[in-house]
Amino acid sequence: MRIKKFVTAIVLASVLFSTALLEAVHAGTPYEAYNYNYWEEAVASPAAFVPSRAVSGQDLGIGPFVEPNDMVIGHDGSIYVADTGNKRIVVINAQWEVERIIDSAPGIGEFGTISGIFVDADGDLYIADSGLSKLIVLSKTGEVRLVIDKPQSDIIAAGFKFTPTKVAVDEAKRMYVVANGVFEGIMQFDADGSFLGYIGTNEVKRDYYEIFWRLFSTKEQRSQMVLFIPTEFSNLDIDHKGFVYATNIDLNSLTPIKRLNPSGEDVLKRYGYFEVRGDIRYRTSVGPSIFVDIKYLGDGLYSALDSNQGKVFTYDAEGNLLFIYGMLANQAGTFKTPVAIEYDGENQLVLDRAKGNINVFKPTKFGKLVLQASRLHYNGYSEEAVPIWQQVLDLNSNYDIAYIGIGRSLVLAKQNEEAIFYFKQGMERDQYSVAYKRYRREEMKEQFSTIMTTIVILVIVTAGLMIWRKLRRNRRKAAVSHSVGRDQAL
Amino acid sequence: MKQELIDFPLRVMFKPFSSFWDLKYDNKGSIRASIIIIALTIIALILQKQFAGFLVNYTDPRLINSLQDIVTVVVPFLLWVVANWSITTLMDGEGKFTEIVKVTAYSLTPLVIVYVPLTFISRYMAQEETAFYYLMLSIASLWFVWLLFVGIMTVHQYTVLKTIVTMLLTVIVMGIIVFLGALVLSMLYQIYDFLYNIYRELLFRT
Repeated sequence: MRIKKFVTAIVLASVLFSTALLEAVHAGTPYEAYNYNYWEEAVASPAAFVPSRAVSGQDLGIGPFVEPNDMVIGHDGSIYVADTGNKRIVVINAQWEVERIIDSAPGIGEFGTISGIFVDADGDLYIADSGLSKLIVLSKTGEVRLVIDKPQSDIIAAGFKFTPTKVAVDEAKRMYVVANGVFEGIMQFDADGSFLGYIGTNEVKRDYYEIFWRLFSTKEQRSQMVLFIPTEFSNLDIDHKGFVYATNIDLNSLTPIKRLNPSGEDVLKRYGYFEVRGDIRYRTSVGPSIFVDIKYLGDGLYSALDSNQGKVFTYDAEGNLLFIYGMLANQAGTFKTPVAIEYDGENQLVLDRAKGNINVFKPTKFGKLVLQASRLHYNGYSEEAVPIWQQVLDLNSNYDIAYIGIGRSLVLAKQNEEAIFYFKQGMERDQYSVAYKRYRREEMKEQFSTIMTTIVILVIVTAGLMIWRKLRRNRRKAAVSHSVGRDQAL
Repeated sequence: MKQELIDFPLRVMFKPFSSFWDLKYDNKGSIRASIIIIALTIIALILQKQFAGFLVNYTDPRLINSLQDIVTVVVPFLLWVVANWSITTLMDGEGKFTEIVKVTAYSLTPLVIVYVPLTFISRYMAQEETAFYYLMLSIASLWFVWLLFVGIMTVHQYTVLKTIVTMLLTVIVMGIIVFLGALVLSMLYQIYDFLYNIYRELLFRT
């Protein structure tokens, strides 16, 4: 009896501890994952990315990173970190080993302040050095291929100081450079380094209140007022079509993220429930999202890094907010001063300047499914996306985009009645209307004979009733007039 | 009842001048029917919020509160009636309080007549047809204002201009009443607070 009790105790204890272990493994993220619903409320959602590891300079055996400013992943999977404080660029291979350290360029010497780096498809490394006021292009073998220090053009003022901070390169090797003190937009350079022009000027917003006060102020007062200048871009990336995704840090802008076509127009799709601007609800003391980096994930998806609250916002090609993760804190998997975000095809990497480390986030099942379904949808495989959206709904039944995705596929499959249900769940009115119109037409066609029969019967019955009533009234009138006549006669 | 609740409101809608004249001098219409019409308006509004088609219904279903809907009809109605009576008393209006109540209530008829079937039809509308829905809603509102205008003009025996001025003044007075009400309430609360504090002071003094 006692042995039995003892055994039971051990078994129970082991069960208890194993579940405890399991829970430790599945311990939640340090941040609360959420998303916004149709009513613009933040609702809890499963996490899409969870922290998997944090890599610092010490871990790599090269001494701590000092104020690293940028990070980029090459096409071969190696990670380039601009270790600005140490005046070097660290190249890490996919196995997280240091491959090489670039600390000088032949003919130029030591780097100044490396603000931004980019690696193109051929492995050429583009370095925006704001300290040296140079844009340096190094080939894969380490030779200097090109240096831009004084862009020449009629539209550039004579005393212009070129201070490049961020750079991105498209497939034709055209360089897009964000530079300090340039309000005209993003500087565009040809492959051989000649200045092509500016694209994508941020427009100055008119502030009617200010204009009103300007009317009544003297010249001296006016000279003391704030100048209205367009805001500068903060970072940029290039998609597979050569369109530029750019972020700016204008606090009041509803369009902090732009997608610029070759002629510099903003063509970002904003078909979601709300603006593509990060957090749509925030405390006034905290302020809106400030985007410092953006990463194109392929298939129209992009992630933008908000330094104000340390969050990463991922959108799909149509401007739907897919998920949000991250926060500012001291725990592992949180940020202090996030400066750059990268994507290696599966994991997302965030570089933290203050902590001097790279945070690696791996997708959860939920995150993987959402990305997979969005990619399928973007490429036109709506039908193949349906089972994946169904799985997404199993994990998060509040996920409106999944409902809409299923609805769209159902419309294509001419299952309009089911599509109506899904669009209603996803609060998608335009698509709902399309599906409903088709459904209504089908129903009308099907029920045409019934409807017509009912109408004909109703018409006949009403007409019959009216005739009968009229006849009866006439008869009564005749009877009354008859009686009146008789009374008079009597 | 049938006469004052069905025949008369329908006549009001299409022949407002003669009907309101009858209301004033022939004692047509009743307070009881007026209350029923207000209740029907409330029901029409509630039905609209609950059952209007998905494409035109932007109400958050979690926030539907019928008690609140009742308040949003009854309170402005009472405010309007009281404010109008106060203003017209000063401006030589001939209307009695009950007449103002009846006129205002009977003016609501188009809302009831239009809202209920429209709510039903809106469930079978596609996006392009919703313009018709909003058009009908505006017509109903304008119709209501028109009836109210004619009614006020008739019961007070005003000219057109004077009626417009009075109606605008009534709206202003409604605001003043709300303001005064809030003022009185806050004052009462402060008095209560004051007395309560004295009570507590005495309690702890012993």
